[in-house]
Amino acid sequence: MSYLSLENVVKTFNKTEVVKKLSLEIHKGELVSFLGPSGCGKTTTLNMIAGFLEVDGGKIEVDGKPVHLLPPNKREMGMVFQNYALFPHMTVYENVAYGLKLRKVAKSEIKIRVQEALEMVRLSGYEKRYPKELSGGQQQRVSLARALVIKPKVLLLDEPLSNLDAKLRQEMREEIVDIQKKVGITTIFVTHDQEEALAISDRIAVMYEGRIEQVDTPAAIYNYPKTDFVSQFIGEVNHIQGKVLEAYSDKRCKMHFFGNEQIVAIQSVKDSEVHFFIRPEKVQISLGKSNESKEAFLSKVERKMFLGAKTRYILRANDQHLVADISNTVLNPNQIQEGNNVYTFWNPEDLLPSRMVR
Amino acid sequence: MKKKLPKLLFNSVCLLVYTFLLAPIVVVLLSSLTTTEYIVFPPKGLTLRWYTELVDHPEFMQSFTLSILVAFGTAFIATAIGTLASLAVVRREFRGKTAIVQLVGSPLLIPSVVFGVALLQFYSWIGLAASPLALVLGHIILTVPFVMRLVVASLVGFDRSIEQAAMNLGAGSWKVFFQITLPIIKSGVIAGAIFAFITSFDDLTVALFIVSTDVVTLPVRIYTYMQYQYDPIITSVSSIMILFTVALMLVIERVLGVGKVFSSKN
Ligand SMILES: Nc1ncnc2c1ncn2[C@@H]1O[C@H](COP(=O)(O)OP(=O)(O)OP(=O)(O)O)[C@@H](O)[C@H]1O
Ligand SMILES: [Mg+2]
Repeated sequence: MSYLSLENVVKTFNKTEVVKKLSLEIHKGELVSFLGPSGCGKTTTLNMIAGFLEVDGGKIEVDGKPVHLLPPNKREMGMVFQNYALFPHMTVYENVAYGLKLRKVAKSEIKIRVQEALEMVRLSGYEKRYPKELSGGQQQRVSLARALVIKPKVLLLDEPLSNLDAKLRQEMREEIVDIQKKVGITTIFVTHDQEEALAISDRIAVMYEGRIEQVDTPAAIYNYPKTDFVSQFIGEVNHIQGKVLEAYSDKRCKMHFFGNEQIVAIQSVKDSEVHFFIRPEKVQISLGKSNESKEAFLSKVERKMFLGAKTRYILRANDQHLVADISNTVLNPNQIQEGNNVYTFWNPEDLLPSRMVR
Repeated sequence: MKKKLPKLLFNSVCLLVYTFLLAPIVVVLLSSLTTTEYIVFPPKGLTLRWYTELVDHPEFMQSFTLSILVAFGTAFIATAIGTLASLAVVRREFRGKTAIVQLVGSPLLIPSVVFGVALLQFYSWIGLAASPLALVLGHIILTVPFVMRLVVASLVGFDRSIEQAAMNLGAGSWKVFFQITLPIIKSGVIAGAIFAFITSFDDLTVALFIVSTDVVTLPVRIYTYMQYQYDPIITSVSSIMILFTVALMLVIERVLGVGKVFSSKN
């Protein structure tokens, strides 16, 4: 059963709806990421869950009880902020102990629980330091310990890693997931870094303009995007269009792309133009025509970019650009020069049909 | 060699500035020890006679107590009002905000003589007689803008997610204010309180218009005494004022540990 549920939650700022009838069910112990471009309402939604903003419509329930009318100090949610938001006038110990003191927990128990929390984030021995005497990563760990020590019902993280450098981000995100799984706490993780979201989430809620476009596992979001926005926002895509030569009764069509014919599993009508997305790593190339590439068409290599484990080829066919990312173990990039013509093909199942109408 | 010259120059300028700032204080302190019947610097001989003679002038003691009471009252109330007003000004949007800010800040621009006259007129109009209350009220109007300047400065750049974090951990709004907000802007608030105290404690211009024969603040007492006599009692009273202020600063520094109150925030 769902533990945290948002039902038709609405937020309006100056007459513009910033969050539009958003609904979401999160299970106990699950880590759900809110992923979306800047300004899509991630923070606003999180602030409504935490109680810093009132909902203008809909309701929020935790464990079956409505919480959207409670003030933030009564909601028992742990929040970790982007800029850490540690109390600058308190030591690490006092910061972590603050929530327990408010709960009138006995001094001796506070001591034990603070020690435990600091151990969990690997900061034992830093009790007497002040926040400004810590690095960004350490500050964020204190902030995590401070949020978790009160054993909140839900953990809310608003871009907790965005102020850290790339390497530390990766370390920290793994640490956060480890802790989250160990504690088993229901968690919402806001980010606009898709790699981060794909790496750590049980499920991702992709948000766009105040709505949730799709909620799914990372693999499903990546491989089976349900809307054009999700297709384009997660990962990279090539945009291609083709004409329906024949529509079959079993929801398949014979399509015409780049002077080439291919049977694709979509439902359409004869002669209509259909748009597709295809990810660069799904576009394949070869120097000669093989069995595999019998439906290939020729395209010209305009640019070649070495990217480490893979090489990116910018191709041109029929006045359209196509990007192909090919693993260097599959195709030795030295075999192909800029200006060469190569056979280009893909597996029809890798085409993501677009709902776009032009 | 090249680097030494600017440093030497810098040090000399500092020395000069400090000398000019501190010299009058030293002059007052030292000349209060003179054995002569008149004020002279450097003092001739050393005696504490002018301090013991204060016993025969209970009116100075009365004025001293009054000034301290008025200054404490002013500092307390002006700091409370100024801090709350600063919070409103920095954090809220409301109609006529600019007008209110200008109005509250206006005593900074009006010459204090003009302000004193205005206050005298106003008090007689509402029928408020010369009293410690009248003095405190006048001084509050005079000092709130100072407090606001300092508190607003310490509120600018205040990260409100710190307060949200406290709320999130279970603190109600009172606790957030007293345990989080206030300690963080502490230096600005204390600096404001000290400014208010000192402004009130050594205000002469405004007080001159409000005092009556039995409500006389220390600066006014010194001023009127000097018009008839010019003996070292003046310097001994002034010295006590100076020493008292210094002692107060030391206590505040000790109790609240804000050595950097005037230098920088946090
Ligand atoms: N207090 C406010 N008053 C008016 N508009 C606001 C307010 N807070 C947010 N907005 C608007 O609401 C929209 C969503 O903001 P929000 O902060 O939730 O975005 P976000 O998804 O968190 O973006 P980011 O990734 O940049 O943090 C934005 O268009 C923003 O301008
Ligand atoms: Mg945000």
